[in-house]
Amino acid sequence: MKQKTDVLQGTLALMVLKTLDVLGPLHGYGIARRIEQISGDLLAVNQGTLYPVLLKLEQEGAIASEWGASENNRRARFYRLTKEGRKQLQVETKDWEQTAAIIGRFFEAKAEDLP
Amino acid sequence: MKSVKRFLTRVFNSATRRAQEERLREEIAEHIALQTAENLRAGLSTIEARRQAMLKFGGVEAMKEDYRAERGILFIENLLGDLRNAGRTISRMPGLAAVIIVSLAIGIGVNTTIFSWIQMILFQPLPAVTGASNFLLVEPRSDTAGYPGASWLEYRDLQTQVPALRDVVASQMVPFNVGEPGKTERTHGQLVSGNYFSALGLKPAIGRFIRPEEAERSGTEPVVVISYDYWQTRFRGSPTALGQTLRVNDRDLIVIGVAPRDFQGTMVPLKFELWVPATMTPALLGGVRVLEDRTSRAFSLIGMLKPGAKPQEAQAEFTTAMAQLARDYPDASAGMGGEVLPFWDSPRGPQRLIISGLAILQGVMLLLLLAVCGNTANLMLARGSTRQREMAVRVALGAGRWRIASLVLSENMLLAFLGAGLGAAFAVWGTTALRIAPIVGAFPILFPTKVDAFTLAFAIVLGVACGLIFSAAPALYLARLDPQDSLRSGPNTPPRSRARKVLMGVEVGLASVVLIAAALFLDSFRNARQTDPRFRLEGVLLAAYDRSGRNPDDASDREFAARLLERLRSLPDVEGAAIATNVPLDLHGIPSRPFTVQGRVRTEPGQDRAISNTVTPGYLNVLGIPLLEGTDFADMRDKAAPPQAIVNEEFVRRYLNGADAIGRSLQARKQNFTIIGVARNSAYDALGEPPQPAMYFSYRDRPSYQGEIHLRTRSGNEAALTAEARGVLRELDPMLPLYDVRTFSQHIDRNLYLRRIPARMFAVLGPLLLGLAAVGIFAVVSYAVARRTREIGVRLAFGATGSRVVLQIIRENLGAIARGTAVGWLLALVISLHAFPNSPLNLSVFLGVPTILLAVATLACWLPARRASRIDPMAALRHE
Repeated sequence: MKQKTDVLQGTLALMVLKTLDVLGPLHGYGIARRIEQISGDLLAVNQGTLYPVLLKLEQEGAIASEWGASENNRRARFYRLTKEGRKQLQVETKDWEQTAAIIGRFFEAKAEDLP
Repeated sequence: MKSVKRFLTRVFNSATRRAQEERLREEIAEHIALQTAENLRAGLSTIEARRQAMLKFGGVEAMKEDYRAERGILFIENLLGDLRNAGRTISRMPGLAAVIIVSLAIGIGVNTTIFSWIQMILFQPLPAVTGASNFLLVEPRSDTAGYPGASWLEYRDLQTQVPALRDVVASQMVPFNVGEPGKTERTHGQLVSGNYFSALGLKPAIGRFIRPEEAERSGTEPVVVISYDYWQTRFRGSPTALGQTLRVNDRDLIVIGVAPRDFQGTMVPLKFELWVPATMTPALLGGVRVLEDRTSRAFSLIGMLKPGAKPQEAQAEFTTAMAQLARDYPDASAGMGGEVLPFWDSPRGPQRLIISGLAILQGVMLLLLLAVCGNTANLMLARGSTRQREMAVRVALGAGRWRIASLVLSENMLLAFLGAGLGAAFAVWGTTALRIAPIVGAFPILFPTKVDAFTLAFAIVLGVACGLIFSAAPALYLARLDPQDSLRSGPNTPPRSRARKVLMGVEVGLASVVLIAAALFLDSFRNARQTDPRFRLEGVLLAAYDRSGRNPDDASDREFAARLLERLRSLPDVEGAAIATNVPLDLHGIPSRPFTVQGRVRTEPGQDRAISNTVTPGYLNVLGIPLLEGTDFADMRDKAAPPQAIVNEEFVRRYLNGADAIGRSLQARKQNFTIIGVARNSAYDALGEPPQPAMYFSYRDRPSYQGEIHLRTRSGNEAALTAEARGVLRELDPMLPLYDVRTFSQHIDRNLYLRRIPARMFAVLGPLLLGLAAVGIFAVVSYAVARRTREIGVRLAFGATGSRVVLQIIRENLGAIARGTAVGWLLALVISLHAFPNSPLNLSVFLGVPTILLAVATLACWLPARRASRIDPMAALRHE
């Protein structure tokens, strides 16, 4: 149970960072929309799970937040990437690509490829 | 790093919980509003748009849980919750909580006070001096004369010959007569080496200290450093004190500086007011040759260890240096060795006595605290079992065992910390009370105890330890509960009383050890006041004089004493007058000296020693000590008689096997004396001491520059003689003050001061502990009885009489108590036999204390038992 949330949270965190990197400061709903648009199902039902992730990132210093006005002119919390967050994103992107490559190769390997 | 930051943020968040909750609520509302707007644009109806938005967001409460878990620290929040809960629980039982907190506070307060004293002696032996725990006393030692001190020249040699010591300082304590003729005042000071203040690392409050070059050549630098208190009282703390002159022993000294506030010299607990260069000694003390004479061992040395050096290295180097000195100067140093000693092991002063006494006291008081803990554990356990149901509900709702334990723990810890806090406050009060202790004996004494961070830490550690000790049992008990069982059966299950009974026994056992110790101590203290000293102390006035500043020699000292006595005896209210070098029953003791006596051959190695006091003719008469044989000393001006000595009965019994002593020759103090009389035994060092062998010498043969005047009054009002005695001395020498004037009863009271402190502690704490034990037993038994209401009801219904029920309840509980008492009694007996192997067993204490304890315990059992036996059987059966 715990492991599953951790995996989900890890993936979500990376998506949040990437979103903020590409789109600049955004409120929670905006981030959720963006992730939904790109990843499809992941947040289709449980958009709420985003908020603990945002909090965790903020506590780690990867993102910062402040109050601002949303598009319907109400108070909303806007999140933006910090310098530290940008660095973290780079590192994690690289890690992710490496992991993905390894896993990819692993699944592509067929029995006859093995010595 | 990241995890640290996150942790800190979480701690912070825990504190700002409310604002955070508000923020999340707002964010969720906004999120859902935006999603609803989006859905509306997609063409959904208002209600449906909102419903879909909510669905999409997911479970709000579950998410909030996650969010909270992420935000704060569960542990800390639980703890805060527990503490709040504990605060509520405690405020619901104010009586019980007060008993627990106050009893803990007293236990912790007493222990902290004693500890502050011990730690002062061990770790901060010199007030206002930092790093004094690295200082060592450097004590030359002779086989025959103990620790005689060091000579000035020897000190100069040792300064360079013990490399493990970065500095060695020398000091000599001297009583000065300060002021103009006719109104001099006795003030204690130290003659010190030039490096004294710099090596101690002190900074003057104002002015400067003695410079090394000011203690190089004899008698050239008439300067003085004064203590902070002296500056405040004599100069009103004015900076103009610098440069003024003080008339000291008839010489003008210039005040050059003021010592820091708490500095009281280097012979703690003595308190000194003046510091003068040692090279002023001949000028101030009438031309004595201390600076050139290697046999004049007047100085005490203190060495400061180099960083990293060990006391053992210093000891080895010191031994080598002393051996070399013995070869170079056989006249002065033959047979001399030396020891480096920590301050608490000082061969002079009461330190050694105090530290061993304090160690025992601390041990007893820790036992007392343990008994208090046992009592508290019992009270908490009894209370804990009434909360079975509450705990069972908590467990059933999903609280883990650890949560239950931590709930109980936090309650007890809160109690323990409240107790420790109050205890620390008691300790502050206690140490202040110690500090304002009166002057003891002829020397000004100040115990520089205070509650510092170290002592406070001790109080807190005690608090934590107590909390853990008395939490353990209830926490274990409640955490092991089976919720189903407790919920189903309610409060009528037979109680698991084993733990409580064992605890009750342990508590009573500890209490009996402490009570026996307290009773023994109080008994000996009371005896000490009532024991016959075997001399008549009523109606005797004591007062001291000191001619050390007056160029004294034997002839003038003898003549002075003779004339003083003549004048004193001529006063109308004086029945008898005498002078002695020592007063019995003094805190500092009477010296004992080695001797040989004609007709005694010592078989074992070492030397015979006896108490030695030098007195004028008439001394025995003034104190009412009968001469059993022979005669009193010859007149002070008699030049014909040979040197004389009087010994006491015990001397004759021990060293002469009771044979006739008169006329035998006695060698002591490098002189030959003839024994001319045998005096009755009396008390010398302590009241009620076993008989000690003693020798009296005559002032005629061994005149001294100082003396204690003993005056016996005719009228019985000895204090009224003070003014007349003062006048007599002033007529004889206007420069000499009469000091330390007191009646003999006052003298004894002051010297019992050190024993009175623990005596008072015990007098208060003993009954208190007894009361606590009674409360503990009462609580446990009433609880146990309340749980068995139904059983008792059944018995009564079947015809058991009330008294039978009472008897049975008492018997059940008294068993555990009696076993505990017996174990404690045995323990106390073993300790007592071990610590005081020679004194007879104090039967009244060893029988009385358990009797009282058991009587009180029986009463504490009887009260709740009687109440139980009076219940209406029908009501009891319907109970529940």
